[in-house]
Amino acid sequence: MSTVRTLVRETPAINMGDGIIAVLRNDRVARWTSRLVLLALWQVAGLLSQRFPTPVETVEILVREFQTPFDRGEWSAANNELVQNLWISIQRTGIAVFLVILIGLPIGYLMGRWWRVQAYFTDLVTVLLAMPAYMWALLAVMWFGFGMRAPVFTAVVSAVPGLIVHVLQGSLAIPRDLRDMSDAFDVPGATRLRHLALPSMSGAIIAGIRLSIIAAWGCVVLVEWFGSNEGAGFRARDWYQSAANYNGLMAWGIVVLVVVIIFDRGIIERIDRAVHKWRGAVGDFGAAKVAVNDSTQEG
Amino acid sequence: MASPSVPETSGSERVGTRVDVARQARIARWKAVAYSVFGAVSFLVAWQIASGFTRTEFDLLPGPLEVLQRMGEYTFGNEAERIASGWVFLNFWETFRKTLYGFAGALVLGVPIGILMGRYRYAKNFFFDFVYLAANVPLIVYAILGLLIFGIGDTGPAFVVGLLVLPVITLNVAAGVEGVDQRLLAMSRSFGLSSRTALRHIVVPSLSPFLFAGSRASFAASWKLAALAETFGGTTGVGVQIRKAFQGFSVTDMLAWMMFFVIFVLIVERIILMRLERWVFRYRLKRGEDILRF
Repeated sequence: MSTVRTLVRETPAINMGDGIIAVLRNDRVARWTSRLVLLALWQVAGLLSQRFPTPVETVEILVREFQTPFDRGEWSAANNELVQNLWISIQRTGIAVFLVILIGLPIGYLMGRWWRVQAYFTDLVTVLLAMPAYMWALLAVMWFGFGMRAPVFTAVVSAVPGLIVHVLQGSLAIPRDLRDMSDAFDVPGATRLRHLALPSMSGAIIAGIRLSIIAAWGCVVLVEWFGSNEGAGFRARDWYQSAANYNGLMAWGIVVLVVVIIFDRGIIERIDRAVHKWRGAVGDFGAAKVAVNDSTQEG
Repeated sequence: MASPSVPETSGSERVGTRVDVARQARIARWKAVAYSVFGAVSFLVAWQIASGFTRTEFDLLPGPLEVLQRMGEYTFGNEAERIASGWVFLNFWETFRKTLYGFAGALVLGVPIGILMGRYRYAKNFFFDFVYLAANVPLIVYAILGLLIFGIGDTGPAFVVGLLVLPVITLNVAAGVEGVDQRLLAMSRSFGLSSRTALRHIVVPSLSPFLFAGSRASFAASWKLAALAETFGGTTGVGVQIRKAFQGFSVTDMLAWMMFFVIFVLIVERIILMRLERWVFRYRLKRGEDILRF
Protein backbone atom coordinates (compact mmCIF):
# COMPACT_ATOMS: atom_id res chain seq x y z
CA MET A 1 0.00 0.00 0.00
CA SER A 2 1.04 3.52 -0.47
CA THR A 3 1.65 4.47 3.11
CA VAL A 4 5.13 5.54 2.10
CA ARG A 5 4.48 9.01 3.46
CA THR A 6 4.72 7.74 7.01
CA LEU A 7 8.45 7.55 6.47
CA VAL A 8 8.72 11.30 6.37
CA ARG A 9 6.28 12.08 9.08
CA GLU A 10 8.48 11.65 12.12
CA THR A 11 11.14 13.89 10.69
CA PRO A 12 12.97 15.76 13.43
CA ALA A 13 12.96 19.53 13.03
CA ILE A 14 16.00 21.15 11.52
CA ASN A 15 18.03 22.95 14.12
CA MET A 16 20.51 25.40 12.67
CA GLY A 17 22.75 24.98 15.66
CA ASP A 18 23.44 21.43 14.55
CA GLY A 19 26.02 22.35 11.98
CA ILE A 20 25.97 21.84 8.24
CA ILE A 21 26.58 18.08 8.28
CA ALA A 22 23.68 17.45 10.63
CA VAL A 23 21.41 19.61 8.49
CA LEU A 24 22.41 17.72 5.35
CA ARG A 25 21.73 14.45 7.10
CA ASN A 26 18.24 15.48 8.09
CA ASP A 27 15.56 13.22 6.58
CA ARG A 28 13.77 15.86 4.62
CA VAL A 29 16.97 17.42 3.34
CA ALA A 30 18.12 13.97 2.26
CA ARG A 31 14.97 13.48 0.23
CA TRP A 32 15.34 16.84 -1.46
CA THR A 33 19.01 16.20 -2.15
CA SER A 34 18.04 13.04 -3.98
CA ARG A 35 15.42 14.89 -6.05
CA LEU A 36 17.98 17.51 -7.04
CA VAL A 37 20.47 14.80 -7.93
CA LEU A 38 17.84 13.17 -10.13
CA LEU A 39 17.20 16.47 -11.90
CA ALA A 40 20.93 17.02 -12.37
CA LEU A 41 21.31 13.51 -13.80
CA TRP A 42 18.49 14.22 -16.22
CA GLN A 43 20.19 17.45 -17.28
CA VAL A 44 23.52 15.70 -17.85
CA ALA A 45 21.84 12.90 -19.80
CA GLY A 46 20.08 15.49 -21.92
CA LEU A 47 23.28 17.33 -22.69
CA LEU A 48 25.16 14.16 -23.56
CA SER A 49 22.52 12.49 -25.72
CA GLN A 50 21.43 13.48 -29.19
CA ARG A 51 17.81 12.51 -28.68
CA PHE A 52 17.22 12.72 -24.95
CA PRO A 53 15.95 16.23 -24.06
CA THR A 54 16.99 18.27 -21.03
CA PRO A 55 14.41 19.25 -18.37
CA VAL A 56 14.20 22.79 -19.77
CA GLU A 57 13.45 21.57 -23.29
CA THR A 58 10.79 19.26 -21.90
CA VAL A 59 9.04 22.07 -20.04
CA GLU A 60 9.33 24.33 -23.09
CA ILE A 61 7.47 21.92 -25.30
CA LEU A 62 4.76 21.47 -22.68
CA VAL A 63 4.27 25.23 -22.58
CA ARG A 64 3.99 25.17 -26.37
CA GLU A 65 1.40 22.41 -26.14
CA PHE A 66 -0.53 24.54 -23.69
CA GLN A 67 -0.44 27.51 -26.08
CA THR A 68 -1.63 25.54 -29.12
CA PRO A 69 -5.42 25.49 -29.51
CA PHE A 70 -6.91 22.00 -29.64
CA ASP A 71 -7.92 20.75 -33.08
CA ARG A 72 -7.63 24.20 -34.71
CA GLY A 73 -10.39 25.57 -32.47
CA GLU A 74 -10.48 28.66 -30.32
CA TRP A 75 -7.74 28.77 -27.68
CA SER A 76 -8.72 28.92 -24.02
CA ALA A 77 -7.16 27.68 -20.80
CA ALA A 78 -9.28 24.54 -21.13
CA ASN A 79 -9.18 24.15 -24.90
CA ASN A 80 -5.58 23.44 -25.84
CA GLU A 81 -3.57 20.42 -26.84
CA LEU A 82 -2.25 19.75 -23.34
CA VAL A 83 -5.46 19.91 -21.34
CA GLN A 84 -7.85 18.44 -23.93
CA ASN A 85 -5.76 15.39 -24.77
CA LEU A 86 -5.16 14.73 -21.11
CA TRP A 87 -8.84 15.13 -20.33
CA ILE A 88 -9.84 12.67 -23.07
CA SER A 89 -7.50 10.03 -21.66
CA ILE A 90 -8.70 10.62 -18.12
CA GLN A 91 -12.34 10.28 -19.19
CA ARG A 92 -11.60 6.98 -20.89
CA THR A 93 -9.77 5.77 -17.81
CA GLY A 94 -12.69 6.78 -15.61
CA ILE A 95 -15.21 4.79 -17.65
CA ALA A 96 -12.88 1.79 -17.73
CA VAL A 97 -12.30 1.85 -13.98
CA PHE A 98 -16.03 2.02 -13.35
CA LEU A 99 -16.52 -1.14 -15.40
CA VAL A 100 -13.51 -2.84 -13.80
CA ILE A 101 -14.93 -2.34 -10.33
CA LEU A 102 -18.39 -3.39 -11.47
CA ILE A 103 -17.02 -6.70 -12.79
CA GLY A 104 -14.06 -7.42 -10.53
CA LEU A 105 -15.52 -6.71 -7.11
CA PRO A 106 -18.43 -9.20 -7.19
CA ILE A 107 -16.40 -11.95 -8.88
CA GLY A 108 -13.55 -11.58 -6.40
CA TYR A 109 -15.89 -11.62 -3.43
CA LEU A 110 -17.84 -14.63 -4.68
CA MET A 111 -14.62 -16.50 -5.38
CA GLY A 112 -13.66 -16.10 -1.75
CA ARG A 113 -17.14 -17.01 -0.54
CA TRP A 114 -17.78 -20.23 -2.52
CA TRP A 115 -15.11 -22.68 -3.55
CA ARG A 116 -17.12 -23.67 -6.64
CA VAL A 117 -16.92 -20.13 -7.99
CA GLN A 118 -13.24 -19.98 -7.17
CA ALA A 119 -12.49 -23.25 -8.92
CA TYR A 120 -14.54 -22.17 -11.94
CA PHE A 121 -12.67 -18.89 -12.47
CA THR A 122 -9.19 -19.98 -11.39
CA ASP A 123 -7.88 -20.97 -14.82
CA LEU A 124 -9.31 -17.93 -16.53
CA VAL A 125 -7.82 -15.50 -14.01
CA THR A 126 -4.44 -17.25 -14.10
CA VAL A 127 -4.30 -17.04 -17.88
CA LEU A 128 -5.52 -13.44 -18.02
CA LEU A 129 -2.89 -12.40 -15.46
CA ALA A 130 -0.17 -13.78 -17.69
CA MET A 131 -1.41 -11.92 -20.77
CA PRO A 132 0.39 -8.69 -21.54
CA ALA A 133 -1.81 -5.61 -21.68
CA TYR A 134 -0.24 -4.30 -24.82
CA MET A 135 -1.22 -7.33 -26.88
CA TRP A 136 -4.78 -6.71 -25.81
CA ALA A 137 -4.22 -3.13 -26.91
CA LEU A 138 -3.15 -4.23 -30.39
CA LEU A 139 -6.03 -6.68 -30.67
CA ALA A 140 -8.50 -4.04 -29.50
CA VAL A 141 -7.25 -1.60 -32.12
CA MET A 142 -7.75 -4.26 -34.81
CA TRP A 143 -11.20 -5.14 -33.50
CA PHE A 144 -12.66 -1.78 -32.62
CA GLY A 145 -10.58 0.77 -34.51
CA PHE A 146 -10.29 4.34 -33.29
CA GLY A 147 -12.58 5.74 -30.64
CA MET A 148 -13.75 4.95 -27.17
CA ARG A 149 -14.27 1.20 -27.26
CA ALA A 150 -10.70 0.00 -27.82
CA PRO A 151 -9.10 1.75 -24.79
CA VAL A 152 -11.98 0.86 -22.47
CA PHE A 153 -11.97 -2.79 -23.57
CA THR A 154 -8.20 -3.13 -23.11
CA ALA A 155 -8.25 -1.52 -19.68
CA VAL A 156 -11.10 -3.73 -18.51
CA VAL A 157 -9.53 -6.97 -19.73
CA SER A 158 -6.14 -6.14 -18.25
CA ALA A 159 -7.20 -4.62 -14.94
CA VAL A 160 -10.03 -6.95 -13.89
CA PRO A 161 -7.88 -10.02 -13.06
CA GLY A 162 -5.62 -7.98 -10.77
CA LEU A 163 -8.60 -6.56 -8.91
CA ILE A 164 -10.16 -10.02 -8.62
CA VAL A 165 -7.01 -11.41 -7.00
CA HIS A 166 -6.92 -8.57 -4.48
CA VAL A 167 -10.59 -8.81 -3.60
CA LEU A 168 -10.33 -12.60 -3.40
CA GLN A 169 -7.52 -12.33 -0.90
CA GLY A 170 -9.53 -9.82 1.12
CA SER A 171 -12.56 -12.05 0.95
CA LEU A 172 -10.56 -15.03 2.18
CA ALA A 173 -9.37 -12.89 5.09
CA ILE A 174 -12.87 -12.56 6.49
CA PRO A 175 -12.64 -14.52 9.74
CA ARG A 176 -14.43 -17.81 9.24
CA ASP A 177 -15.63 -18.20 12.80
CA LEU A 178 -17.26 -14.76 12.68
CA ARG A 179 -18.96 -15.75 9.44
CA ASP A 180 -20.21 -18.98 10.99
CA MET A 181 -21.38 -17.09 14.03
CA SER A 182 -23.37 -14.61 11.96
CA ASP A 183 -24.91 -17.59 10.19
CA ALA A 184 -25.91 -19.07 13.52
CA PHE A 185 -27.36 -15.81 14.83
CA ASP A 186 -29.12 -14.91 11.58
CA VAL A 187 -27.34 -11.59 11.17
CA PRO A 188 -28.95 -9.71 8.25
CA GLY A 189 -26.88 -9.28 5.10
CA ALA A 190 -26.50 -5.51 5.32
CA THR A 191 -25.16 -5.63 8.87
CA ARG A 192 -22.85 -8.44 7.91
CA LEU A 193 -21.51 -6.43 5.00
CA ARG A 194 -21.09 -3.30 7.11
CA HIS A 195 -19.49 -4.85 10.17
CA LEU A 196 -17.80 -8.00 8.93
CA ALA A 197 -17.06 -8.06 5.21
CA LEU A 198 -16.07 -4.45 4.56
CA PRO A 199 -13.76 -3.95 7.56
CA SER A 200 -11.81 -7.11 6.80
CA MET A 201 -11.68 -6.41 3.08
CA SER A 202 -11.15 -2.64 2.96
CA GLY A 203 -7.36 -2.80 2.76
CA ALA A 204 -7.41 -5.31 -0.06
CA ILE A 205 -10.14 -3.45 -1.92
CA ILE A 206 -8.32 -0.12 -1.76
CA ALA A 207 -5.07 -1.74 -2.87
CA GLY A 208 -6.90 -3.48 -5.70
CA ILE A 209 -8.68 -0.36 -6.90
CA ARG A 210 -5.48 1.68 -6.73
CA LEU A 211 -3.77 -0.89 -8.89
CA SER A 212 -6.64 -1.11 -11.35
CA ILE A 213 -6.72 2.67 -11.79
CA ILE A 214 -2.99 2.81 -12.48
CA ALA A 215 -3.25 -0.19 -14.80
CA ALA A 216 -6.26 1.26 -16.62
CA TRP A 217 -4.43 4.54 -17.14
CA GLY A 218 -1.43 2.73 -18.61
CA CYS A 219 -3.66 0.67 -20.91
CA VAL A 220 -5.58 3.69 -22.17
CA VAL A 221 -2.36 5.49 -23.03
CA LEU A 222 -1.03 2.35 -24.73
CA VAL A 223 -4.09 1.95 -26.94
CA GLU A 224 -3.93 5.61 -27.83
CA TRP A 225 -0.34 5.11 -28.89
CA PHE A 226 -1.19 2.24 -31.22
CA GLY A 227 -4.46 3.49 -32.59
CA SER A 228 -6.26 6.70 -31.77
CA ASN A 229 -6.52 10.23 -33.04
CA GLU A 230 -6.70 11.97 -29.69
CA GLY A 231 -5.46 11.51 -26.13
CA ALA A 232 -2.14 11.57 -24.32
CA GLY A 233 -0.75 8.43 -25.96
CA PHE A 234 -1.69 9.64 -29.44
CA ARG A 235 0.02 12.96 -28.83
CA ALA A 236 3.26 11.25 -27.78
CA ARG A 237 3.23 9.10 -30.87
CA ASP A 238 2.31 12.03 -33.09
CA TRP A 239 5.37 13.99 -31.98
CA TYR A 240 7.57 10.96 -32.44
CA GLN A 241 6.29 9.75 -35.80
CA SER A 242 5.07 12.69 -37.77
CA ALA A 243 7.55 15.25 -36.44
CA ALA A 244 10.42 13.03 -35.23
CA ASN A 245 10.38 15.34 -32.23
CA TYR A 246 11.89 13.52 -29.24
CA ASN A 247 11.21 16.41 -26.89
CA GLY A 248 7.49 16.04 -27.44
CA LEU A 249 7.73 12.28 -26.88
CA MET A 250 9.57 12.79 -23.61
CA ALA A 251 7.23 15.56 -22.50
CA TRP A 252 4.13 13.42 -22.90
CA GLY A 253 5.86 10.50 -21.20
CA ILE A 254 6.50 12.77 -18.23
CA VAL A 255 2.89 13.96 -18.24
CA VAL A 256 1.65 10.36 -18.13
CA LEU A 257 3.98 9.64 -15.23
CA VAL A 258 3.02 12.79 -13.32
CA VAL A 259 -0.66 11.86 -13.51
CA VAL A 260 0.12 8.53 -11.81
CA ILE A 261 2.15 10.17 -9.06
CA ILE A 262 -0.39 12.90 -8.37
CA PHE A 263 -3.14 10.33 -8.21
CA ASP A 264 -1.20 7.98 -5.95
CA ARG A 265 0.31 10.52 -3.59
CA GLY A 266 -2.54 12.99 -3.58
CA ILE A 267 -5.67 10.87 -3.58
CA ILE A 268 -5.13 7.22 -2.76
CA GLU A 269 -2.85 7.84 0.19
CA ARG A 270 -5.34 10.21 1.76
CA ILE A 271 -8.21 7.77 1.35
CA ASP A 272 -6.12 4.94 2.70
CA ARG A 273 -5.11 6.94 5.72
CA ALA A 274 -8.68 8.06 6.40
CA VAL A 275 -10.09 4.54 6.12
CA HIS A 276 -7.39 2.94 8.21
CA LYS A 277 -7.05 5.57 10.91
CA TRP A 278 -7.85 3.00 13.55
CA ARG A 279 -4.96 0.86 12.47
CA GLY A 280 -2.28 3.46 13.07
CA ALA A 281 0.66 4.08 10.81
CA VAL A 282 2.16 1.02 9.21
CA GLY A 283 5.31 2.74 8.24
CA ASP A 284 8.64 1.51 7.08
CA PHE A 285 9.60 -0.99 4.48
CA GLY A 286 6.85 -3.45 5.23
CA ALA A 287 4.23 -1.28 3.59
CA ALA A 288 6.40 0.08 0.82
CA LYS A 289 7.68 -3.36 -0.05
CA VAL A 290 4.16 -4.64 -0.42
CA ALA A 291 3.41 -1.68 -2.66
CA VAL A 292 6.31 -2.49 -4.94
CA ASN A 293 5.82 -6.25 -5.02
CA ASP A 294 2.21 -5.55 -5.61
CA SER A 295 2.72 -3.68 -8.82
CA THR A 296 1.72 -6.44 -11.18
CA GLN A 297 2.33 -3.59 -13.61
CA GLU A 298 -0.15 -3.85 -16.37
CA GLY A 299 0.01 -1.21 -19.00
CA MET B 1 -1.80 -23.64 -12.72
CA ALA B 2 -2.84 -22.39 -9.33
CA SER B 3 -4.40 -25.09 -7.26
CA PRO B 4 -7.99 -24.21 -6.47
CA SER B 5 -8.92 -24.35 -2.83
CA VAL B 6 -10.19 -27.58 -1.46
CA PRO B 7 -13.89 -27.47 -0.59
CA GLU B 8 -14.53 -27.05 3.08
CA THR B 9 -15.91 -29.93 5.02
CA SER B 10 -18.42 -29.05 7.68
CA GLY B 11 -17.89 -29.99 11.32
CA SER B 12 -20.03 -33.13 11.36
CA GLU B 13 -18.26 -34.60 8.34
CA ARG B 14 -14.93 -34.20 9.99
CA VAL B 15 -15.69 -36.88 12.55
CA GLY B 16 -14.62 -40.28 11.28
CA THR B 17 -11.69 -42.56 10.80
CA ARG B 18 -8.50 -41.32 9.22
CA VAL B 19 -9.19 -43.27 6.06
CA ASP B 20 -12.51 -41.49 5.67
CA VAL B 21 -10.90 -38.08 6.05
CA ALA B 22 -8.26 -38.86 3.47
CA ARG B 23 -10.85 -40.16 1.04
CA GLN B 24 -13.04 -37.13 1.50
CA ALA B 25 -10.13 -34.81 0.92
CA ARG B 26 -9.31 -36.65 -2.29
CA ILE B 27 -12.89 -36.46 -3.52
CA ALA B 28 -13.01 -32.79 -2.64
CA ARG B 29 -9.85 -32.11 -4.63
CA TRP B 30 -11.24 -33.96 -7.63
CA LYS B 31 -14.41 -31.93 -7.42
CA ALA B 32 -12.39 -28.71 -7.41
CA VAL B 33 -10.38 -29.86 -10.42
CA ALA B 34 -13.56 -30.83 -12.23
CA TYR B 35 -15.03 -27.38 -11.65
CA SER B 36 -11.93 -25.63 -12.85
CA VAL B 37 -11.74 -27.78 -15.99
CA PHE B 38 -15.40 -27.03 -16.55
CA GLY B 39 -14.59 -23.32 -16.22
CA ALA B 40 -11.77 -23.49 -18.76
CA VAL B 41 -13.83 -25.52 -21.24
CA SER B 42 -16.81 -23.18 -20.96
CA PHE B 43 -14.62 -20.21 -21.88
CA LEU B 44 -13.16 -22.05 -24.85
CA VAL B 45 -16.67 -22.86 -26.04
CA ALA B 46 -17.68 -19.22 -25.58
CA TRP B 47 -14.67 -18.21 -27.70
CA GLN B 48 -15.64 -20.68 -30.43
CA ILE B 49 -19.22 -19.42 -30.50
CA ALA B 50 -18.12 -15.77 -30.54
CA SER B 51 -15.78 -16.46 -33.45
CA GLY B 52 -18.69 -17.91 -35.43
CA PHE B 53 -20.58 -14.64 -35.10
CA THR B 54 -17.85 -12.29 -36.25
CA ARG B 55 -16.89 -13.72 -39.60
CA THR B 56 -16.06 -10.97 -42.03
CA GLU B 57 -13.58 -11.00 -44.86
CA PHE B 58 -10.93 -9.96 -42.32
CA ASP B 59 -11.39 -12.94 -40.00
CA LEU B 60 -11.65 -10.75 -36.92
CA LEU B 61 -11.83 -13.50 -34.30
CA PRO B 62 -10.49 -16.88 -35.40
CA GLY B 63 -11.58 -19.87 -33.36
CA PRO B 64 -9.34 -21.70 -30.86
CA LEU B 65 -8.53 -24.50 -33.32
CA GLU B 66 -7.31 -22.10 -35.98
CA VAL B 67 -5.04 -20.43 -33.44
CA LEU B 68 -3.80 -23.82 -32.29
CA GLN B 69 -2.94 -24.76 -35.86
CA ARG B 70 -1.02 -21.50 -36.28
CA MET B 71 0.87 -22.23 -33.05
CA GLY B 72 1.75 -25.62 -34.49
CA GLU B 73 3.15 -23.97 -37.62
CA TYR B 74 5.27 -21.62 -35.55
CA THR B 75 6.61 -24.54 -33.54
CA PHE B 76 7.20 -27.18 -36.22
CA GLY B 77 7.64 -24.95 -39.24
CA ASN B 78 5.66 -24.49 -42.41
CA GLU B 79 7.33 -24.92 -45.79
CA ALA B 80 4.69 -23.05 -47.77
CA GLU B 81 4.90 -19.86 -45.67
CA ARG B 82 8.63 -20.15 -45.08
CA ILE B 83 8.37 -20.43 -41.32
CA ALA B 84 11.42 -22.21 -39.95
CA SER B 85 10.82 -25.00 -37.49
CA GLY B 86 11.41 -23.89 -33.90
CA TRP B 87 10.72 -20.28 -34.89
CA VAL B 88 8.94 -19.64 -31.64
CA PHE B 89 11.86 -20.85 -29.51
CA LEU B 90 14.28 -18.67 -31.44
CA ASN B 91 12.23 -15.54 -30.77
CA PHE B 92 11.53 -16.36 -27.16
CA TRP B 93 15.19 -16.98 -26.55
CA GLU B 94 16.08 -13.54 -27.94
CA THR B 95 13.59 -11.83 -25.60
CA PHE B 96 14.59 -14.03 -22.69
CA ARG B 97 18.24 -13.08 -23.16
CA LYS B 98 17.40 -9.38 -22.89
CA THR B 99 15.29 -10.01 -19.80
CA LEU B 100 18.20 -11.86 -18.21
CA TYR B 101 20.61 -9.00 -18.93
CA GLY B 102 18.15 -6.60 -17.36
CA PHE B 103 17.74 -8.81 -14.29
CA ALA B 104 21.49 -9.19 -13.91
CA GLY B 105 21.98 -5.43 -14.09
CA ALA B 106 19.24 -4.84 -11.55
CA LEU B 107 20.81 -7.37 -9.17
CA VAL B 108 24.28 -5.87 -9.46
CA LEU B 109 22.98 -2.38 -8.77
CA GLY B 110 20.02 -3.19 -6.54
CA VAL B 111 21.59 -5.42 -3.90
CA PRO B 112 24.20 -2.85 -2.72
CA ILE B 113 21.64 -0.03 -2.73
CA GLY B 114 19.21 -2.24 -0.83
CA ILE B 115 21.83 -3.09 1.78
CA LEU B 116 22.63 0.60 2.20
CA MET B 117 18.94 1.43 2.51
CA GLY B 118 18.40 -1.21 5.13
CA ARG B 119 21.45 -0.18 7.09
CA TYR B 120 21.59 3.63 6.99
CA ARG B 121 18.79 6.06 7.60
CA TYR B 122 20.32 8.58 5.23
CA ALA B 123 20.51 6.10 2.35
CA LYS B 124 16.92 5.12 2.99
CA ASN B 125 15.74 8.69 2.64
CA PHE B 126 18.03 9.43 -0.25
CA PHE B 127 17.04 6.49 -2.44
CA PHE B 128 13.41 6.33 -1.49
CA ASP B 129 12.09 8.61 -4.22
CA PHE B 130 14.17 6.88 -6.88
CA VAL B 131 12.70 3.57 -5.86
CA TYR B 132 9.19 4.92 -5.55
CA LEU B 133 9.41 6.56 -8.95
CA ALA B 134 10.88 3.53 -10.67
CA ALA B 135 8.16 1.32 -9.21
CA ASN B 136 5.30 3.49 -10.43
CA VAL B 137 6.32 4.32 -13.98
CA PRO B 138 3.76 2.93 -16.44
CA LEU B 139 5.24 0.37 -18.83
CA ILE B 140 4.61 2.57 -21.85
CA VAL B 141 6.73 5.34 -20.34
CA TYR B 142 9.55 2.82 -19.85
CA ALA B 143 9.19 1.73 -23.45
CA ILE B 144 9.31 5.37 -24.59
CA LEU B 145 12.39 5.93 -22.43
CA GLY B 146 14.16 2.94 -23.95
CA LEU B 147 13.36 4.20 -27.43
CA LEU B 148 14.56 7.70 -26.54
CA ILE B 149 17.87 6.76 -24.99
CA PHE B 150 18.94 3.86 -27.19
CA GLY B 151 16.88 4.30 -30.33
CA ILE B 152 16.12 1.28 -32.49
CA GLY B 153 18.14 -1.67 -31.20
CA ASP B 154 18.42 -4.32 -28.55
CA THR B 155 20.00 -2.37 -25.69
CA GLY B 156 16.81 -0.43 -24.93
CA PRO B 157 14.67 -3.43 -23.91
CA ALA B 158 17.37 -4.83 -21.61
CA PHE B 159 17.94 -1.42 -20.04
CA VAL B 160 14.29 -0.76 -19.25
CA VAL B 161 13.80 -4.25 -17.83
CA GLY B 162 16.65 -3.44 -15.46
CA LEU B 163 14.92 -0.20 -14.46
CA LEU B 164 11.68 -2.05 -13.84
CA VAL B 165 13.20 -4.78 -11.68
CA LEU B 166 15.55 -2.49 -9.76
CA PRO B 167 13.01 -1.15 -7.21
CA VAL B 168 11.71 -4.63 -6.46
CA ILE B 169 15.20 -5.96 -5.76
CA THR B 170 16.23 -2.88 -3.81
CA LEU B 171 13.22 -2.69 -1.53
CA ASN B 172 13.17 -6.40 -0.86
CA VAL B 173 16.84 -6.44 0.05
CA ALA B 174 16.35 -3.38 2.24
CA ALA B 175 13.44 -5.01 4.04
CA GLY B 176 15.49 -8.16 4.48
CA VAL B 177 18.47 -6.30 5.89
CA GLU B 178 16.26 -4.34 8.23
CA GLY B 179 14.55 -7.50 9.37
CA VAL B 180 17.76 -9.24 10.36
CA ASP B 181 17.50 -10.47 13.92
CA GLN B 182 19.64 -8.04 15.89
CA ARG B 183 19.96 -10.46 18.80
CA LEU B 184 21.47 -13.06 16.53
CA LEU B 185 23.96 -10.51 15.27
CA ALA B 186 24.83 -9.47 18.82
CA MET B 187 25.31 -13.10 19.78
CA SER B 188 27.49 -13.81 16.78
CA ARG B 189 29.62 -10.85 17.79
CA SER B 190 29.98 -11.95 21.38
CA PHE B 191 30.97 -15.43 20.25
CA GLY B 192 33.62 -13.90 18.04
CA LEU B 193 32.24 -14.89 14.65
CA SER B 194 33.85 -13.14 11.72
CA SER B 195 31.58 -10.71 9.94
CA ARG B 196 31.86 -12.85 6.83
CA THR B 197 30.44 -15.85 8.66
CA ALA B 198 27.71 -13.68 10.16
CA LEU B 199 26.86 -12.40 6.71
CA ARG B 200 26.69 -15.90 5.29
CA HIS B 201 24.69 -17.49 8.09
CA ILE B 202 22.51 -14.69 9.43
CA VAL B 203 22.09 -11.90 6.92
CA VAL B 204 21.82 -13.86 3.68
CA PRO B 205 19.28 -16.43 4.98
CA SER B 206 17.01 -13.71 6.28
CA LEU B 207 17.34 -11.75 3.07
CA SER B 208 17.00 -14.40 0.39
CA PRO B 209 13.31 -15.24 0.80
CA PHE B 210 12.45 -11.59 0.25
CA LEU B 211 14.71 -11.42 -2.77
CA PHE B 212 13.33 -14.59 -4.25
CA ALA B 213 9.71 -13.60 -3.78
CA GLY B 214 10.38 -10.19 -5.29
CA SER B 215 12.14 -11.58 -8.32
CA ARG B 216 9.45 -14.10 -9.01
CA ALA B 217 6.75 -11.47 -8.64
CA SER B 218 8.45 -9.18 -11.12
CA PHE B 219 9.28 -11.85 -13.68
CA ALA B 220 5.98 -11.63 -15.54
CA ALA B 221 6.06 -7.84 -15.57
CA SER B 222 9.65 -7.71 -16.81
CA TRP B 223 8.88 -10.17 -19.55
CA LYS B 224 5.89 -8.12 -20.68
CA LEU B 225 8.00 -4.98 -20.68
CA ALA B 226 10.78 -6.62 -22.69
CA ALA B 227 8.28 -7.59 -25.40
CA LEU B 228 6.68 -4.16 -25.36
CA ALA B 229 10.02 -2.41 -25.70
CA GLU B 230 10.86 -4.70 -28.61
CA THR B 231 7.61 -3.80 -30.29
CA PHE B 232 8.50 -0.13 -29.91
CA GLY B 233 12.05 -0.26 -31.12
CA GLY B 234 13.55 -3.75 -31.14
CA THR B 235 15.13 -5.67 -33.98
CA THR B 236 14.75 -9.24 -32.69
CA GLY B 237 12.49 -11.18 -30.36
CA VAL B 238 8.83 -11.81 -29.64
CA GLY B 239 7.93 -8.12 -29.62
CA VAL B 240 9.08 -7.75 -33.22
CA GLN B 241 6.95 -10.70 -34.30
CA ILE B 242 3.99 -9.15 -32.53
CA ARG B 243 4.61 -5.87 -34.31
CA LYS B 244 4.66 -7.71 -37.64
CA ALA B 245 1.37 -9.43 -36.80
CA PHE B 246 -0.16 -6.05 -36.02
CA GLN B 247 1.14 -4.38 -39.14
CA GLY B 248 -0.06 -7.33 -41.23
CA PHE B 249 -3.46 -7.08 -39.53
CA SER B 250 -3.42 -10.77 -38.64
CA VAL B 251 -5.50 -11.55 -35.57
CA THR B 252 -4.63 -15.25 -35.85
CA ASP B 253 -0.89 -14.56 -35.58
CA MET B 254 -1.48 -12.16 -32.72
CA LEU B 255 -3.55 -14.66 -30.75
CA ALA B 256 -1.02 -17.41 -31.44
CA TRP B 257 1.82 -15.28 -30.04
CA MET B 258 -0.36 -14.33 -27.10
CA MET B 259 -0.98 -17.98 -26.27
CA PHE B 260 2.73 -18.77 -26.53
CA PHE B 261 3.34 -15.87 -24.21
CA VAL B 262 0.89 -17.17 -21.63
CA ILE B 263 2.30 -20.69 -21.81
CA PHE B 264 5.84 -19.41 -21.39
CA VAL B 265 5.06 -17.14 -18.44
CA LEU B 266 3.05 -19.84 -16.69
CA ILE B 267 5.72 -22.49 -17.18
CA VAL B 268 8.49 -20.27 -15.86
CA GLU B 269 6.55 -18.62 -13.06
CA ARG B 270 4.29 -21.37 -11.79
CA ILE B 271 6.37 -24.42 -12.45
CA ILE B 272 10.07 -23.58 -12.56
CA LEU B 273 10.35 -20.62 -10.19
CA MET B 274 7.74 -21.84 -7.76
CA ARG B 275 9.26 -25.34 -7.53
CA LEU B 276 12.68 -23.81 -7.11
CA GLU B 277 11.47 -21.50 -4.38
CA ARG B 278 9.71 -24.33 -2.59
CA TRP B 279 12.85 -26.44 -2.79
CA VAL B 280 15.23 -23.72 -1.66
CA PHE B 281 13.07 -22.76 1.29
CA ARG B 282 11.75 -26.23 2.08
CA TYR B 283 13.11 -26.03 5.62
CA ARG B 284 10.84 -23.15 6.49
CA LEU B 285 7.60 -24.42 4.99
CA LYS B 286 5.02 -25.82 7.34
CA ARG B 287 3.27 -28.96 6.25
CA GLY B 288 0.52 -28.22 3.74
CA GLU B 289 1.51 -24.60 3.43
CA ASP B 290 2.02 -23.30 -0.07
CA ILE B 291 4.11 -20.40 -1.21
CA LEU B 292 1.82 -18.87 -3.71
CA ARG B 293 -1.65 -19.14 -4.90
CA PHE B 294 -2.06 -16.39 -7.43
